[in-house]
Amino acid sequence: MAHRRKSIGIQRIAAYATIAVALVVTLFPVYWIAANSFKYDIDIFSIPPQWIPANPTSKHYHAAFVERPFLIYALNSLIIAVSTTLVSVVFGSLAGYALARFQYPGRWRYQISFWILSTRMMPPIVTIIPLYIAFNHLGMLNTKPAVIIAYTAFNLPFATWMMKSYFQDLPVELEEAAMVDGDTRWGAFLHVALPLARPGLAATAIFCLIISWNEFLLALILTLTERSQTLPIGIAGRVTQYNTYWGEISAAGFTACIPIMIFAFVVQKHLVRGISFGAVKG
Amino acid sequence: MASVVFQDVVKKFGTFTAVSDLNLEVRDKEFLVLLGPSGCGKTTTMRMVAGLEEVTAGEIFIGGDRVNDVLPKYRDVAMVFQSYALYPHLSVADNIGYPLKIRKVPQDKQRQMVMEVARRVELDGLLDRLPKQLSGGQRQRVALARAIIRTPKVFLMDEPLSNLDAKLRVQMRAELKHLQHELQVTTIYVTHDQIEAMTLAHRVAVMNKGVIEQLGTPRQIYNDPRTLFVAGFIGSPPMNLIDGEVKDGVFTSLGGVRVDGLGSANAASAVLGVRPEDIHVLPAGSEKTNVMAPIYSVELTGESTLVTLRAGAALLTVRADKNFVGDFDQMVEIGFAPGRVFLFDRQSQDRVDF
Repeated sequence: MAHRRKSIGIQRIAAYATIAVALVVTLFPVYWIAANSFKYDIDIFSIPPQWIPANPTSKHYHAAFVERPFLIYALNSLIIAVSTTLVSVVFGSLAGYALARFQYPGRWRYQISFWILSTRMMPPIVTIIPLYIAFNHLGMLNTKPAVIIAYTAFNLPFATWMMKSYFQDLPVELEEAAMVDGDTRWGAFLHVALPLARPGLAATAIFCLIISWNEFLLALILTLTERSQTLPIGIAGRVTQYNTYWGEISAAGFTACIPIMIFAFVVQKHLVRGISFGAVKG
Repeated sequence: MASVVFQDVVKKFGTFTAVSDLNLEVRDKEFLVLLGPSGCGKTTTMRMVAGLEEVTAGEIFIGGDRVNDVLPKYRDVAMVFQSYALYPHLSVADNIGYPLKIRKVPQDKQRQMVMEVARRVELDGLLDRLPKQLSGGQRQRVALARAIIRTPKVFLMDEPLSNLDAKLRVQMRAELKHLQHELQVTTIYVTHDQIEAMTLAHRVAVMNKGVIEQLGTPRQIYNDPRTLFVAGFIGSPPMNLIDGEVKDGVFTSLGGVRVDGLGSANAASAVLGVRPEDIHVLPAGSEKTNVMAPIYSVELTGESTLVTLRAGAALLTVRADKNFVGDFDQMVEIGFAPGRVFLFDRQSQDRVDF
C-alpha cells in the first residue's frame, strides 16, 4: 500500500515537472518580448540579462504606435483576420454540413472531401506567383480584399473539414425530428444542427483567426503599403538595413498577442463538448 | 385523420432491397403495428411515410394525397423516434412547443398549448429543464408530447418504448394505447417486440426481409399464422417447431413425435408447430400421448411452469400447471391439443392446410 502511494507521488511530481518545463519553454519568449518592450535599447542587450526592466519606459510603444503606423497595421490585421474568419466559418459550416449529411452517388462524398483537403497539400509558397499575377491583373494588389480572398482560400478547406466532423458527430435524428416537426432542411440546419455544433464553430473560428492573424508570407507578397500591410509585415519591417529596432518589435509583437488571447478566453467556454448529451439514449 | 396507403412500394439502398413490393392500407384511426426482426424493413417503411427516405418505386398516399414528392414538413405527420431525438439545447417547454414555433403559432397560444399537453403527459413542473436533466421515462414523455401537441394526420412511432426499463415499458404501453384511443389519430408503430404488437395493435403486419408475411388482428396472427416465420416469431415462449415428415396425415419426427389426424397431408419435409400452452402433460400410459421425452429443464414463471423436454434433436416447451413438479431427465408424456396443431412446408415455409 505504502509502496503504491509512493509511486503515485513520483508520477505526480514527474507530471508537474513536465508541465512546468513546457510552460517555461512556451511562456518565456512571451515574457521576454513583454519585458524587452519596456526596456531602453541598451538594457535589451545588457549582460548579464536584465530579467526585469530596471527603468521601465513606454518609448517603444510611442515609437511604434504614434510615430510609426502600427495602429493602422493592427487595424488592417483585424479587418483581414475577422473577415477571413467570418467567411471561412460561414462557408465552412455550409460545405461541412453538405458533406456530412447529403447523399452522394458512389464514393463521391469521399472524393469531394479529399479534393477539398488536397488543395492544402502543396506548400502555400508555390501559389504565390500565380496569386500575385492574378491579383495584379485584377488590380487588387495591395488591397485588403486580396489578402482576405487568399487567406479564405487557405482556411476554407480546414474549416470545412472541421465542421464536417462536428456535424457528423451530431445524431442525425435531431434534424430529422425537426423536419418532421415542420422545418425545412435549412431550418433544421439553422435551428438544430448549428446551435449544437457551437463548440465546432468556436474551434474553427479560433483556428482561422490565429492563422490569418499570424500569416506572413502571402501578406508580404500581396501588400506594399500601410493601405493593406498587416502587423507581422509591419513588425518585420523594423528589421532594417542599418538597424534592428528590437524595442519597437517587442512592443508591437507583445501588443499583437493580446487580441488573440482575449478572443481565446471569450470563446473557450463554447469549446466545451457534451452539449448534445441527453439528446438521444434513455 | 387519414388513411395511409402503400401501393407497390419498393425501397432500395444501392443493390440492397430493404422493402419489396409493399401493398398495405392503414385505415383511418387505426393502430397498425409493423412487427419484425431488425433489418426487416419496418423502420424504412415508416421513414418513407415521414418523408425521411425517398421511395424507389411505387406510391404512398396519406389521406388520399400522393406524398412521394412531398417534403416532410408538408406531410403533417408526427414522429416519435427510438432515441427520442429531443433537442438538447432547448428546454422541455421549447422542445414540446417546437412544432408550433415553426408554424408561427402566436406566443401565448403556444404557451397555453404546451401547458395543456404537458399536463396530459404529466410533465408540468419540468418545463424549464433541459433534456439531459430528465430520466428516460420523462424524455419519452417529452417526445410523445411533442408529437401530440398538434393533431397530425398520422402518428409514426419507431420503437418508442425500447429504451425504457421493463416496468416503465409496461406502464407506457398502456398509456400509449389509451392516448391513441382518445386522440383517434391513425398510428403506425414499429417494433420488434411481439408483446407490444399484440397488446397495442388493431392490426399487425408481420414483416420479414422486406415483405409483409401476414397482416391481421393480433388474434388472427397468433391463432392462425400463415407462414413458418410468423408462427416462430409470435408468442413467448415461441411456438414449438418440429421437423419431420407427413405421410397420409400422420406426422413423425426423428425425436419420436407422432401426430395423426392431419387429414390427407403428405410432405417429405414438413414442420409441425404447436404452442406451449396447447401441449398438456398426460398421465403415464395415456392413449393421447404424442411423445414421451425426458425433462431438459423446468422453469417456474409464477402463473405457470415452463417444462422443456428433449425429443431427439428438438427441444419442446410445454406450459404446464404452476404446481407441476418434475426433475431433470424424468420421462414425461405429453399430448397436443387437437385442432391446435399447425403444419408447414419446410421448402415454401407456407402453412399446409389439412
